Amino acid sequence: MKKKILVIDDDLNVRDYLASLFKDNGYDVCVAGDVKEGIKQAKAEHPDLITLDIEMPGEWGPRFYRQLTQEKDLKNIPVIVISGLTGHQYAVVKAVASISKPFDREELLELVKETLAE
Amino acid sequence: MAKQVLLIDRNIEHAEAVSMYIGRQQYEALISTSNEQTVLYLDNQIWDIIIADPNATPETRAYILGFKEANPLVQIIIMSPKEELDDAMGLFGINAIQYLEVPVNSTALDLALTRADNQTALLKRMDRYTSRLEEVHLARNSFNQLFEEVPCYISVQDKNLRVTASNKRFKKDFGSLIGGFCYEVYKHRTSPCRQCPVVETFKDGKSHTTEEIVTSKDGKQYNVLTQTAPIRNSEGEIAQVMEMSTNITQIRQLQDHLVSLGLMLGSMSHGVKGMLTALDGGIYQLEAGLDQGDNKRVVMASGQIKDMADKIKKMVLEILYYAKSRELQYETKDTEELARSVVKTVSPLTLKHGVIFSVTIAPDIGPVEVDPKWMEAALVNFLENAVDACLFDRTKQTHRVTFNVEKASSTEIRFTVTDNGIGMDTETKNKMFTLFFTSKGSQGTGLGLFIAHRVIRYHGGRVSVDSQVGEGSQFTIHIPFKKPKNDRIVEYPGKDSGSDRSTFQGA
Repeated sequence: MKKKILVIDDDLNVRDYLASLFKDNGYDVCVAGDVKEGIKQAKAEHPDLITLDIEMPGEWGPRFYRQLTQEKDLKNIPVIVISGLTGHQYAVVKAVASISKPFDREELLELVKETLAE
Repeated sequence: MAKQVLLIDRNIEHAEAVSMYIGRQQYEALISTSNEQTVLYLDNQIWDIIIADPNATPETRAYILGFKEANPLVQIIIMSPKEELDDAMGLFGINAIQYLEVPVNSTALDLALTRADNQTALLKRMDRYTSRLEEVHLARNSFNQLFEEVPCYISVQDKNLRVTASNKRFKKDFGSLIGGFCYEVYKHRTSPCRQCPVVETFKDGKSHTTEEIVTSKDGKQYNVLTQTAPIRNSEGEIAQVMEMSTNITQIRQLQDHLVSLGLMLGSMSHGVKGMLTALDGGIYQLEAGLDQGDNKRVVMASGQIKDMADKIKKMVLEILYYAKSRELQYETKDTEELARSVVKTVSPLTLKHGVIFSVTIAPDIGPVEVDPKWMEAALVNFLENAVDACLFDRTKQTHRVTFNVEKASSTEIRFTVTDNGIGMDTETKNKMFTLFFTSKGSQGTGLGLFIAHRVIRYHGGRVSVDSQVGEGSQFTIHIPFKKPKNDRIVEYPGKDSGSDRSTFQGA
């Protein structure tokens, strides 16, 4: 069965990019443009992995992570932070990894593969 | 040194007797018995005392009086036969210190000489005192001048924190009110400041240094470096404290400027990273589309790449606008033409995102004096912002942006930009014109509205806003038809501390 990735990013272009990239590499993808939508999607889709942007209008990425870990059946979903913000690696300490925008495509795919293999 | 006495006498024996008598008392006398001698002696020597018989050398009477006038320290003692004394008194009056009868009684002469000496000493003391007084006066004047002209604010406060003295620069910026409380004058407060260097100096007698923000009588804020010093009275107690403040506003502005440049770099790098990622995405889609022979994907990707190129272009332009100082280039422009040009720029954006764009431009508004480049950029920014506010809103089926242009009065045009987008909460509303503030996450630089507001302000205009969360926002922009008298240079922020909220009229 295909693994599912939830992409959360407020930038439509980045969201589409990540979605296409993951789809093209054999993953199922669902997307969200903000924290509220992200939680809704996580609850509905139970993804195997989440990529999370930090700075978004309204509530920021760390708020999403806190809400996610409060849900019993969602709290163990691995999260990869993808952000252009300086110091993003400190935003979600328990993230699997924190990578900078613009990212290296192959590296990201490798990281996703490794994370999902565990 | 013996005192010099000129003895003018008609009787040489009498004169010699007197001369011998006073010679024993440290006086050195020279005797004159003729008009010529008297003139010669008066012209060539300085005399302490003149003992004269006015009728001895009658033609020199006026000459003696003239000598007295020119040398006020010289003392004149008149000696004369009893029957001539009245005439002598009439002639010399108070110019002589004593009138003696001839032949002269030695005791009377002693007294007269002592009196003359005392008078001379008194006059000399007065002379010294007067010249010292002049020196003191001069010193006071030059100290006063120093106090007045020192290029910083000086005020002197008493124990009740009332200003008892202040210098010229202080008076210019804070008014010449003496007796007012320093916290009122410097900070427009109604109670003493929490940490006051003046109070500290009253307590410990030491000088204290602080940095303060003070407000002038015209409401201008200055950063000042303040130093205090005690002023002690004759008992050594601290009676007053002097406060000396140097205006360091320009230095602070420079620092703010540097900080804002740092912020700009941070904001830029974050924005640029997001855009580069999206550009990467476009390239990926293009490559994947070409690989798969998926024409639809290729078309979509090229659209995305173009979109990103536009965004990057806009951001770079914003930064250039922000960083560049230049004078507004005023031109007379037809208002309708200006508005149409703005609409033309914004229309494709509204079309792309399916936002209804309704435009009403009143006829015959007439010409307006603006810098068209700046003014169009500012109005476009307000409209783009309205479109963005619609895009962020997911609660409504249809979104609408309206743009109304009309004559507000005989002197002003009103532009109204209304949207039914997400609206703003109070915090966003308060901060929206602040440099680098953005509510758009990675998609905003925080430069757009800051620049737009500044442009309106420099045109002598104003912006007011009404907004409700979830309902939408309305920006009302008034600009005068005529260019303002003090047209400004659009410059780096920082001169008014990075925030342009001073003229912001929140609804």
